[in-house]
Amino acid sequence: MTTSSPVGSFPSPYEVETPPGCDGWEEMYPYYALFDEKRREADEQRFWFWNSMHFPLPMPAFDAICIDTAYQALGSWQNRVFAVPPAMGIDYRCINGYIYISGNPVTDPAKIAERAGHFQQRAGHYFQNWDELYAAWRTKMEDLIAELDALEVPQLHELEPDDVAFGDQETSFCAVLDAYRRVLRLSDLMWQNHFEFLLLGYGAYVTFAELCKAHLPDIPDQHIAQMVAGLDVLLFRPDAELRRLARLAIDTGVDVAFVEGRSAGEIDAALAESESGRQWLAELEAVKDPWFHMATGDGLYHYYGSWLDDPTIPYASLTGHIGALRAGEDIDPPSGHIATERDRLATEYGALLDDEARKGFDELLALSRTVFPYVEEHKFLCDYWFLTSWWNKIRDFGRLLAGHGFLADSEDVFQLSRLEVYSALDELLLTWATGGQPRGPSYWPPIVTRRKELLERLADWTPPPAVGAVPEAVLDPALIMLWGVTTQRVHAWAQATDGGSSLSGTPASPGIVEGVARVVRQVSEIGDVREGEILVCSITSPAWAPIFSKIQAAVTDIGGVMSHAAIVCREYALPAVVGTGRATSQISTGQRIRVDGSAGTVTLLE
Amino acid sequence: MTEVGHTRSLATLRRGDSPSFGGKSSTLGELIAAGIPVAAGFALSTAAFRAFVREAGLEGKIAAELNRLSPGDVDSVVAASHGIGEAMRSAPVPESVRDELARAYAGLAEETGIPDPPVAVRSSALGEDGEDATFAGQLESYLWVRGAEHVCDAVRDCWVSLFGPPAIAYRAHVGQAEPAMGVAVQLMVDAGVSGVLFTCNPVSGDPSMMAVNASWGLGLAVVGGEVTPDDFLVSKVTGEVVRERVHVKEVEYVPDAGGRGAVRVDVPEERKAIPCLDRAALAALVEVGSRVERAFGSHQDVEWAIARGRGLPDGLFVLQSRPVTGLPERRPTPENATAMALVMSMFGVGEAEA
Repeated sequence: MTTSSPVGSFPSPYEVETPPGCDGWEEMYPYYALFDEKRREADEQRFWFWNSMHFPLPMPAFDAICIDTAYQALGSWQNRVFAVPPAMGIDYRCINGYIYISGNPVTDPAKIAERAGHFQQRAGHYFQNWDELYAAWRTKMEDLIAELDALEVPQLHELEPDDVAFGDQETSFCAVLDAYRRVLRLSDLMWQNHFEFLLLGYGAYVTFAELCKAHLPDIPDQHIAQMVAGLDVLLFRPDAELRRLARLAIDTGVDVAFVEGRSAGEIDAALAESESGRQWLAELEAVKDPWFHMATGDGLYHYYGSWLDDPTIPYASLTGHIGALRAGEDIDPPSGHIATERDRLATEYGALLDDEARKGFDELLALSRTVFPYVEEHKFLCDYWFLTSWWNKIRDFGRLLAGHGFLADSEDVFQLSRLEVYSALDELLLTWATGGQPRGPSYWPPIVTRRKELLERLADWTPPPAVGAVPEAVLDPALIMLWGVTTQRVHAWAQATDGGSSLSGTPASPGIVEGVARVVRQVSEIGDVREGEILVCSITSPAWAPIFSKIQAAVTDIGGVMSHAAIVCREYALPAVVGTGRATSQISTGQRIRVDGSAGTVTLLE
Repeated sequence: MTEVGHTRSLATLRRGDSPSFGGKSSTLGELIAAGIPVAAGFALSTAAFRAFVREAGLEGKIAAELNRLSPGDVDSVVAASHGIGEAMRSAPVPESVRDELARAYAGLAEETGIPDPPVAVRSSALGEDGEDATFAGQLESYLWVRGAEHVCDAVRDCWVSLFGPPAIAYRAHVGQAEPAMGVAVQLMVDAGVSGVLFTCNPVSGDPSMMAVNASWGLGLAVVGGEVTPDDFLVSKVTGEVVRERVHVKEVEYVPDAGGRGAVRVDVPEERKAIPCLDRAALAALVEVGSRVERAFGSHQDVEWAIARGRGLPDGLFVLQSRPVTGLPERRPTPENATAMALVMSMFGVGEAEA
């Protein structure tokens, strides 16, 4: 690890100004999420970076559960289960609705040594029994999703059902509160599962990457990723299924229903008119579970639903694939050679090493390939499938509250924190039981209105990539592995000046192109992307895969070589630069830029 | 080409001929034997040089000048070099050598169908281009030489460079006595682009990369450091260009309008800042570089040129190759470190004990 002294600086978290009209934003977040004067001395001396990888937009009050629970889970595994020797967990703070995070290091050498003993035993157990443990994990996740599907939010009737009076069914107030506690518990369990293998999986991968770089200092990160990448990547299945359905539509002559500009409903209606169209729809239904549990954006916000909730992306993609097939184009991404290429790379790089190094190379490659299915699959199972279904359960509680006038709309439930929702449900059940006059209907709606306005204004503010002290070195394995936040990257952020004409990041997918930028900060703007543009975003989601057939290149604010944008761009052979820190704030839509995915640079040409 | 006493076709030379023909000529022979494109030509033996010195009676003069100098005193080195050079330049090349050069040169003319073909006349010193690569850059090459008389003069100029100040100082420093030199005479490659290729990254030592420096015109500009060349790093494994730094290339060496010698000119404005190699040219270079590396079984530093107006790969020629020296030490793998131990250390296990 480097010992070069830090240069440049970040703003103090205490001096970041509140954007106009956003006073009072703090009310949306827990008291402990704020930079507060009593902690100033300590917090100002810490390095905090904007976690735009997971939280690129200001957090709605309810969605903050994905911070609290995720960091409870990450910290539990890293600090309390595995006892990663030099690092405990992640602290977070909120500034103007945006989430900044900082690692908690272990500094006492005796403590580190003690933790090392535990870590070796516990992590060793996981590595040694990986396949078995991971198989059990998948079952656990599938059970959890089934349990979530089965969870129902009870309705409140004028009179309780007969089974309460004559049988042993519990009263509705118990049932509703129990359902809410259970839905929260299911979220806890999902996040617990989410992080169980994550650090170890990335750790094995990063170790392999480091060994490669020690012996092959110039090896592109993407070659390391290619050697490890899974052959049957769960995340690519949804789009693969769409390509199959597109071919089927042409083969059975129902492709005429897919007219550019038609909505999913209109296409369905046109298909339903013929027998072959109905057969195609039946085929589509069979694909939906599970492949339409893909999220329309990275799943950590409630508004990123699944393809089931909003079929715009898959239908636009189907229409695009059919058009391309009719034009005689090959719609398969140029990845048919992934299997041969990954083995060819491994063989050729291995052959360049001496015997001693090759032994480590082979062993770590094998270990990385063992752990990698988890790294790729947890995203689909946890972040997409579970989470999009889970938000819908929360909507059911929103519907209950809206039905009793506590909210104007069921969607407004996401403007309350999970504890506020609990409190609102508490009052609803109290007054429903007693027949009293609830205060909720006059209390909650103005709060919701105010918070929606705040979020809208905060979305226009661009957060600095980091605040607080510039660290001499980043030593926290989690920050390096999960966020790609390295000493070098942080120092580049610290030195970057606003308005520079170039940006640098991680070269994630090779190639050089020039083109017009399209800055996308929200998933709803994805529809604006035009053929041949360069996508500039905070971070992309694999759910956006269909638009990758339109774009020429991708640039992201955050992410490493294993980020989704990087993986998808390699799949589509598009240049990509990830982890630039501030692409979305320095580049504007319409601007000409040059992306060098091999050097990791983005040049602003005008 | 018929074989005669002091000259041999380059294609017939092998490593074992190094003591008689010098490092460069024998290396070129090895390259040709490995099927690597090298411009046709012939080699002049070190014996021809010795015959020249002997017949002109220069041994005494040389010995006297060398005895007088003191290695640390630059002025005395320059004075000795000057004295020897003067004496050599005014001495005639032996008749027999002269005739052989003319015959071999006529053979080249016949082979190519070009009367008075332009050639490069290059020093091929003993030890030069050897494993220690000590002489690199100290000896002269003469480009775009035409006509048997001029070839003969250029050969003598090469011999003189054996007593250039840097060469004298170096030999005095390492205590090497009785220098001798062969000469390589090759058809001139009218280079549109030329440069240097390393079969590894010489800076990082990465064996999976090839590093290419290239600029417009003849290689003089790159080798002499007169331009900042375009700089490419290309993966041997995938052929991807992983780094490309295009620089403003102000000058280039081109054949003189009179048909003899090379002149330094300004690069036309429209070519200054654009890359001088495209992907196809880099791919051809990597392919040839890999063959050179395989032929010698070690990392090589290869001078190359791409002929103006010739397609690829036919237009690509290797001018010389020598082992890469001074590679950085690889970071050692911790002894007996298992994969699991490496993973553990990634998580900070073992840091506290260190």
